[in-house]
Amino acid sequence: MASKSLRQATTGRERASEHEGFLRYQSYKWLKIALGISAVALLIYAFNDVQPKPNGGSIYGYTTGTIGVLLILWLTMLGVRKRAITPGRWSLKSWTSAHVYLGLSLIVIATLHTGFDFGWNVHTLAYALMMIVIASGVFGIATYAMLPQALSANRGETTQVQMLDNLRMIDRQLNEAAQPLDAEGAAIVRMALDDDPFGGGLIARLTGHYRKCGTRAALAAVRAHPGRKEAAADPYDHVEVLLERKRSSLSRIRKHLRLKALLEVWLYLHIPLTFALIAALFVHIVSVFYYW
Amino acid sequence: MSFIVRTVARTADGRDIVRPKSFDKAELSIGRSPSSDIHLPDLAVALNHAVIRTAAGGAVEIVATAGMPFLVDGKSTEHERFSASPGANIRIGSHSLSVEPGEGDEKGAVVITVERVGAISNASEEKEEARVFSLASVLPSRRIMAWAGVLLVLAIFLAWPLVSIHTQPTDNSRKVAFHADELWTSGKLSQVHRSLENNCQACHVKAGESVRDTACVACHTKVHDHADKAKLLEAKGSPGIVDGTKQFVGGIFGIQPGRCVECHTEHQGQTAMPVTDERFCTNCHEDMSKRIDTALKDAADFGEHHPQFEPTIRFAGPNGVPSFRRVSLDANPKEDNGLKFPHDLHLSTTNGVAQMAKTLGKAEGYGAPLDCANCHTRDATGSSFVAVKMEPACGACHSLAFDQVGGTIRTLRHGDPAQVVADIRAFYRAGAPRNPALQGMDRRRPGDFASAAQRASFAQTSAMHIGNADQAIRAVFSKGGACFDCHTVRATGNPTTPFAVTPVALSRRYMMKGWFDHAAHDTESCASCHAVKGSKLASDVNLPKLAKCQECHGGQDAHKEVPSACAMCHDYHRNDFAPLMVRDNRARGKAVEHIREKALKQAGTGI
Repeated sequence: MASKSLRQATTGRERASEHEGFLRYQSYKWLKIALGISAVALLIYAFNDVQPKPNGGSIYGYTTGTIGVLLILWLTMLGVRKRAITPGRWSLKSWTSAHVYLGLSLIVIATLHTGFDFGWNVHTLAYALMMIVIASGVFGIATYAMLPQALSANRGETTQVQMLDNLRMIDRQLNEAAQPLDAEGAAIVRMALDDDPFGGGLIARLTGHYRKCGTRAALAAVRAHPGRKEAAADPYDHVEVLLERKRSSLSRIRKHLRLKALLEVWLYLHIPLTFALIAALFVHIVSVFYYW
Repeated sequence: MSFIVRTVARTADGRDIVRPKSFDKAELSIGRSPSSDIHLPDLAVALNHAVIRTAAGGAVEIVATAGMPFLVDGKSTEHERFSASPGANIRIGSHSLSVEPGEGDEKGAVVITVERVGAISNASEEKEEARVFSLASVLPSRRIMAWAGVLLVLAIFLAWPLVSIHTQPTDNSRKVAFHADELWTSGKLSQVHRSLENNCQACHVKAGESVRDTACVACHTKVHDHADKAKLLEAKGSPGIVDGTKQFVGGIFGIQPGRCVECHTEHQGQTAMPVTDERFCTNCHEDMSKRIDTALKDAADFGEHHPQFEPTIRFAGPNGVPSFRRVSLDANPKEDNGLKFPHDLHLSTTNGVAQMAKTLGKAEGYGAPLDCANCHTRDATGSSFVAVKMEPACGACHSLAFDQVGGTIRTLRHGDPAQVVADIRAFYRAGAPRNPALQGMDRRRPGDFASAAQRASFAQTSAMHIGNADQAIRAVFSKGGACFDCHTVRATGNPTTPFAVTPVALSRRYMMKGWFDHAAHDTESCASCHAVKGSKLASDVNLPKLAKCQECHGGQDAHKEVPSACAMCHDYHRNDFAPLMVRDNRARGKAVEHIREKALKQAGTGI
């Protein structure tokens, strides 16, 4: 307790806990603000009798639309803001907290802006893009909350470089162990050696299933090889041991890759689709006023 | 000739260690086998892969021994011969063998430098850790994806429609088919405008310009303005902040207030075009008298702020010249229609009239005390009634018979006093009364006779009390005579036609500014609205007052049996027929559906 107050005194920050994440920042301050905004928006919508039916062209529609587009532009500014880390009221943590909760409040604001009037047009495209961006953000937060533990557990004490070095060491041993083998045996081992541990594309990364895994194929081939002898000095025995070791090492790397991919993939939707969304919003606004 | 083989190994810190070895023989074996002269510990190399030997003329020859090819100066081959000077580069598996002529002390020998150039395995190749462990290695960069997304959206949803708009022909040669600017549509068109889907420019005539009224009237040729445009704007009054802002911004886009589309909103989905909202009327009419000089009374919600009905009433001026004036029902107006007709007498269930109707029987269309339908019949539209004609409505009781020739009853001609006079004179000139002619010239009273047959026999036996033609004529036109009791008769002083009858003009329609549909009120009895049972005079205006309507009807949002927007009775683009809202049957059930076709036919306009 004493050390905490001492730390608080030295940093001069008004924070209750050292471990307050962006989600629970300042006792959910931004969550409360976002809920407040959404509630007000819903209330006005409920009591606002737009004829013949609610649409984005009513006064309320224009208001929610303007708020929505400004909010979206502000939300994208997180990308600029995060590159400049500062303390204080508008710290990056505060900013991120606001980004998350105000971004979620867009679900209400933008949906009310549509007046539930959807179709196959650029207007609904902008809405759909926005919803995907929000959904990817939610997915991102969920993975950030859940996956780092699994990532850390899988990795143990090793670093990524150590994982790779381990693999390289096994490869060297495999190379040596296979030297006495004939051309066929060498070809089998080369399947494992030539296998790119980082190959396999997006799907393999996300699922962890590498269908063309050379090591697995090599292991199967070695086990099924007819030239295996019961004698003690069979070079295939050592090769098999090494292949098994490589497979185990690969599986840890690939689990690591999978967790990392899940942690990263949302950004590959979130960022590019945000820009596509801004383009669609631009077209939405232009087209609405083009024939206004 | 001899070979010198220099094997290059690389230490962990990147230094090269060269181990030379001399062979004083003309042929060296190359392979993975440890017994090979040139040993390549490479799994891509066969145990005995090839032999390299000197050949005549300072040439060097390399030949595959396991049937596996190798590269000589980048060319795949199993047998290659080349000059020792300048030599060649041989690639077997991951190893490079560069063959050069020896120099200096080594002159005359062939120097082969053996070096591993490829990594042992894929994993052993140089890898950028941050990249290979992240998704960046399997996906395009976010920046590229963002640009691609932006350009794709702009190309499809902005450039394409714009190009489409500016390249389409503006005349009729334009195809009615998908155009890229439909990507901008804000919703489907209403049912009536459905044929205009795929034909954006029918309404959006000019690129970048909002819909103008000219586009509407191109088809809707017969719709007229509600009132003078300037007066309309004046009646609207000054817009509030919200509408003012809208108008201001609209002005920047060249949009004038009062366009058709302000009320007739489109792209609201494939439904019936939305019924015009009450507020479009009440915006002006609620307190219009404060803003403009008008004879119209202020009106808003039907249930709360509607003025008393003012039917158009007929008044007879001096010399019988009629005049028409709207009078509030609160003033209990009397109209001059020229007729004498007590509704109460005819609708009684007990008096002589009722008895007469009973006696006439069902064959004659009666058989029970009179009800409204005995005289009043619906017109073709069902919404109103045909004019009451004397012969079918009254003639069954109020007979004009005065003579019988053979089996044929002669009647006085209704509506033509001169003819009546002439017929009576002719009757007497012919030597009347040759047979007792009916019952003198008295008006035939109810119960006198009930059927045509009885009428005939009655005519045979009744006595004629009147002596000559002039007396008979006077009797017909005087109190107690056939004409007098229903009509206002005046003496003309002209001996040929001594009497004239004031013309009867029954009102066909009282509410000229509003619409009323009787068919829609079939669920009610006549008397529930029209208090005719107590009406003693034909001049009574037996229309129900506002309060009567308000028993069922309220404003648009009222919790009444029939919430009624203005448009149920009043059309903005008024004609003599049912308002569009009623014609299109959009506000109520099915009762009014049949009106539309008939009313449209009569109006001679479909639009």
